[in-house]
Amino acid sequence: MASHSPAQPPAPPRVPVAILGALLPFAERSEVLADLAAEFAYRAGTFGKPAASRWYWRQLASSAPSLTRRIWWRGWSGFEPNANRMRPGGPSMESWIMDARYAARRLVRRPLYTVLSVLTLALGIGGTAAVYAIARPILLDPLPYRAEEGLVAFWMPFDWSEQEFLYLRGRVPGFSEFAAYRTDNVLLDRGDGQVRLLPSIFSSVELFPVLGTKPALGRWFQKGEDERGAEAVAVLSYGLWQELGGDRSIVGQRLRIDGQPRTVVGVMPRGFWFPDPTTKIWIPQPLRPDNRSGNYAFLGRMAPGLTVERMSGPMAEFVRMLGERFKYPAQWDKTKNPALTPLRKYLVGSLTPALVATFVAMGLILLIACANVAALMLGQVEGRTTELAVRSALGANRVRLTQQLVAEAALLGIAAGIVGALLAVLAFRGLVAALPLGAWGEAATLSWSVFAAAMVAAVLAATMVAIAPGVAMWRGNLRHVIGSSRTGGIAGRGGRLEGSLVVAEVALAVVMAAGAGLLVRSVAKLYAIDPGIDTRNVGVLHIVLPNEMETPRRFQALREISDALATMPGVTNAGAAQILPISGDGWSSGIRVEGDPNGEVTTTFVRFVTPKYLETMGVTLRDGRMFTDADRTSAGTTPGIIVNEALVKKYFPGTNPIGRRVSTGFSDTLGVVIGVVNDVAEAHLTDAPGPARYMLAETIPFVAGGQGVVFRTSGRDPATLLEDARQMVRRTIPGAGIERVSTMEREFATAVGPARQVMMLLAILTTLALVLGAVGVYGVISHFVNRRSRDWGVRLALGMAPSKVVRMIVARGTALVGLGIVLGIAAFFALARLLGSLLYGVGASDPLAMGTATVVLLVVGVLAAVIPGMRASRTDPAIVLREQ
Amino acid sequence: MLAVLHAREDAYGMNVRREIETRTDREVAIGAVYATLDRLEQKGLIASRRVNGDGGSRRVFSVTAAGTRALYETRTVRDRLWQGLDLPVLVAKFRA
Repeated sequence: MASHSPAQPPAPPRVPVAILGALLPFAERSEVLADLAAEFAYRAGTFGKPAASRWYWRQLASSAPSLTRRIWWRGWSGFEPNANRMRPGGPSMESWIMDARYAARRLVRRPLYTVLSVLTLALGIGGTAAVYAIARPILLDPLPYRAEEGLVAFWMPFDWSEQEFLYLRGRVPGFSEFAAYRTDNVLLDRGDGQVRLLPSIFSSVELFPVLGTKPALGRWFQKGEDERGAEAVAVLSYGLWQELGGDRSIVGQRLRIDGQPRTVVGVMPRGFWFPDPTTKIWIPQPLRPDNRSGNYAFLGRMAPGLTVERMSGPMAEFVRMLGERFKYPAQWDKTKNPALTPLRKYLVGSLTPALVATFVAMGLILLIACANVAALMLGQVEGRTTELAVRSALGANRVRLTQQLVAEAALLGIAAGIVGALLAVLAFRGLVAALPLGAWGEAATLSWSVFAAAMVAAVLAATMVAIAPGVAMWRGNLRHVIGSSRTGGIAGRGGRLEGSLVVAEVALAVVMAAGAGLLVRSVAKLYAIDPGIDTRNVGVLHIVLPNEMETPRRFQALREISDALATMPGVTNAGAAQILPISGDGWSSGIRVEGDPNGEVTTTFVRFVTPKYLETMGVTLRDGRMFTDADRTSAGTTPGIIVNEALVKKYFPGTNPIGRRVSTGFSDTLGVVIGVVNDVAEAHLTDAPGPARYMLAETIPFVAGGQGVVFRTSGRDPATLLEDARQMVRRTIPGAGIERVSTMEREFATAVGPARQVMMLLAILTTLALVLGAVGVYGVISHFVNRRSRDWGVRLALGMAPSKVVRMIVARGTALVGLGIVLGIAAFFALARLLGSLLYGVGASDPLAMGTATVVLLVVGVLAAVIPGMRASRTDPAIVLREQ
Repeated sequence: MLAVLHAREDAYGMNVRREIETRTDREVAIGAVYATLDRLEQKGLIASRRVNGDGGSRRVFSVTAAGTRALYETRTVRDRLWQGLDLPVLVAKFRA
C-alpha cells in the first residue's frame, strides 16, 4: 500500500506503462517512463488522479502509432541515435526487421540458392495446399445436415424395396426418423427446346426430416406427397434455382420434369447437397406396397441418446420384424448381416483412401523439399562459419545469430508460400481431374482456403527448414572456428546433421516409391483382367429415351438408332443394351431351367440388347449362333436366349445347352438357348465370371429409358466419331437426351478405378521425390567433399589411389542411402494400410514393389555420390595445399 | 527544432514536448516527439548526446550547424513570402 501513502507520488496506471515500455528502445526506456511518471504525479496533484490517468492513456494512444512507425523505420534503416551508441537496439521487432532486411540482401546476392530453395519449397507447398483444398470440403467440413452424428445408412444400399419401406415406416425401433431414397436422372424441359438430364433423388417424404435441413425458400415435402395420386411436386437445389434465373417466385411455378408438370415447392439452401453435390432435384416417390423391386437405400436418424455402437438391441428387433414379415430365401437374406454406417462414411468414405494417400504423398514431398532446403542452408551456414564466428566474437549472441537464420528461412517460406499458392491454383484443376472424385470433382471449386493452406504450409516449412541449421549453429563452438578455419578441417565436424537430413530424405522417397510401386502392380493386374469384350475401337453413347415414348416406339427407336449409327462412314457395327459391361450395375433376375424342379431360386445377370450388340462389343461366340433380325418377331413368344459359359457351367454342366429352354425371368415365358458366348465382366471388372442371359429388347414388355448405345469402327479412333454419332442420334430420335459420350477404353479405365488415377499421381510425385532426393544426396555429399578437399589433397599427396577416394566417398553416400532405405521401408509398413483399399491382387508388403523401390533409390543415391567422388579424386594436392 | 532551441541546455524529450505544448497550447504525445527528433537527427539537423544529471542518464538534443542553417532558410523564405502582405488589412477585409 506504499503507493497510497502521501510521501510517495501516485504511480501511473500499469498497463500503458508496460505498453509504452515495450515500444521504446532500451536506451530511452527508463528515462522516458520516469519523465512521464513525474508529469503524471504533477498532474495528479493539480487536476486529480483520474484526469492524470486519462492524460497518461491519451499519451499512449497518440504515441503508439508514431513509435511503431519509428520501430519499423529504425529496423529498416538501421538508424541508431548518437546518444544511444553505448546501448544500441530497440524492441525485438526492430531487430527482426533488421535481420529480415539483411537476409533479403543475402538472398538477392545468391540468386541460384534462393530460386532453388523457393521453387523446391513451393512445389511441396503448392501440392499440399491443393490437395488440402480439395479434401477439406469432403473430409473435414461438417456435412450440411443437422446433428450429423445421429445419421446412419442401412446395409445393402439400393437393395431395398418400396414394399419393405412401407412395412417398416413408422415402426423402426431405435430411430426417430426413417427414410428411403433412390437415385435417378430426370429430364428437365425448359420449354426452349433444350432438354437437360439432371441427377435427381426420388425419396419418401421423410428424407428431409431425417437430414434436418430447412429449405431456403418454400417448404419441404408434406405428408402424403409420396402417395399415388398426390400432386406432383419437386424441391430444387440452390444451383439449379440460380440456373433457372434465381427468381424467388419460382416456388409455386410448374416445371416440366420427365414430361410431366411438377410444382416447385421449395429451394434448398446454398451449400446443401445430398447425396452428392451434383444432385439437382428431389422428388417424392409415389410408393406402392406391391412394388418389390429393390433399388432403394434406407437412411435413419437415431433416437436421441443412441449411437451406432448402442444400436445392437434395436437392430436385433428390426431384423426380427423383417424376417417375420418377409421370409427371405437364403441366397439374399437381408436379415443376415445388419450393419449401420455413419452417414459421412457412407457418403464420402470411398473417397477417403485416395485423398489421404495423395495428401500424405504431397506432405512427403514437402518434407523432402524442406530437408533439401535445410541441407542447402546448412551448407550456407558452414560456408559462413568464419563470418558468423567473427560476428559472435564482436558480441552477437547466439539468439541473434539464430534469429538471422530464422529470418532467412521465414523469407524463403513467404516467397515459397506465394509461389506455392500460384502453383496450388494451377495444380487444383489438374488434381481434381486426376483424383477419383466422381460427383465431387464437378463440384470442387477453388477458394481462399487454398491460399490459407499454402501459407500455413509455408510457415511449417520455414520452421522445419530453420531447425537443422539452427541446431548446427547452437551446437558448434563458433569461436573455435576462427582458429580452425585456417589450420584445416580434417578434425572438423563429421557432418552428422547433414547426414541425417539425407537419411530422412531417402526414407521419405522410399515410402513414396514403394507406395507407387504397389499401385503400379495393382493397376497392371487390373489391366491384365480380360473383361470378355474387345474394348478397342468402340464408341459409347449413354442415351435417355423420352418418357412419353410408348414401348413399341421404343423398340423401333433403338433399332433406328443402331441402324443409323451403322451407316456412318468407318463404322462396322452398332447396337444397344440397357446396361453396358463393367459399369458396376448388376441387373439380375430369377432363372428356371425347364425340367429342373428347383424353380426360380437363383438369379443370373440379364441384358436386353439389339441384335448386333454382342458382335459390336467383340464378344466371341463359343457355340450355336448370334441373334439375327429375324429373332425380333419371335421375341415376344419364344425368345431366343444367348447364355455365357459361366451359365452353362452352372446350369448345364456336361450337357449341350443349345435348344434347351430356360425362363426369361420377367414372365412365365420360356425361351430357347440359341448360342453360347464367352464370359463378360457384366458388373464389376474384378468380379468372378457370373452367369448371364442375353435377350433381345423385344423379349420383355418394357424398355428401360436409359440405354447404352455402342458402335464399332474399322480401326478409326472412335472418339473422333462421337460428335457425329451424337448428331446422328439427335436427328434420328429428336426427343432423346444424350447423357454422356465415351469410348469403351475410357469406360474400362474408369472401371479400373481409383487405383489407376491415384497411381498416376503417385508415379508423378515419386519421380519428383526421387529427383529432389537425388539433388539432396548430391548436394550433401558434394558439400562433404568440398569441406574436406584439403583432406583429399593430403591423402592423394601421400599416395592414396584416386579410385580409393571415389570408393570412400561413394561408400559414405551408400551408407546414408542404405540407412534411409531401411528406415523408409519400416515407415512404409506403418503407412501401407492407407493404400489397402486401392490395392488389387498384391499385398501391402509386396516384395517386388519394395525391392524395386530399394534398387531405384540405391542407384539414384550412389549415382548422386559418384559425381562429387570423381571430383574429389581429381583434387590437385598442390593447389589445395597451396591455398593454406 | 525551435522547441529544442527554446529548451536550451535542458532539451531532453519531455522538456521539448512541454515547450511545444505550452507554446502551441495543444497536447503533444511523447512518442511523436521522439519519432520526429529521431528523423531530424538522422537528417543531421539536430544531434543527441548522453548527459548524466540528477535524474540519471538523459538523451539531450541540440541543433547542429546544418539545423541552424535550415531554420534560417525556412525563416527567410517565409518572410519573403509575407513581404508586401499586410495581415491587419486582410483580416479587416474578411470581417467586412
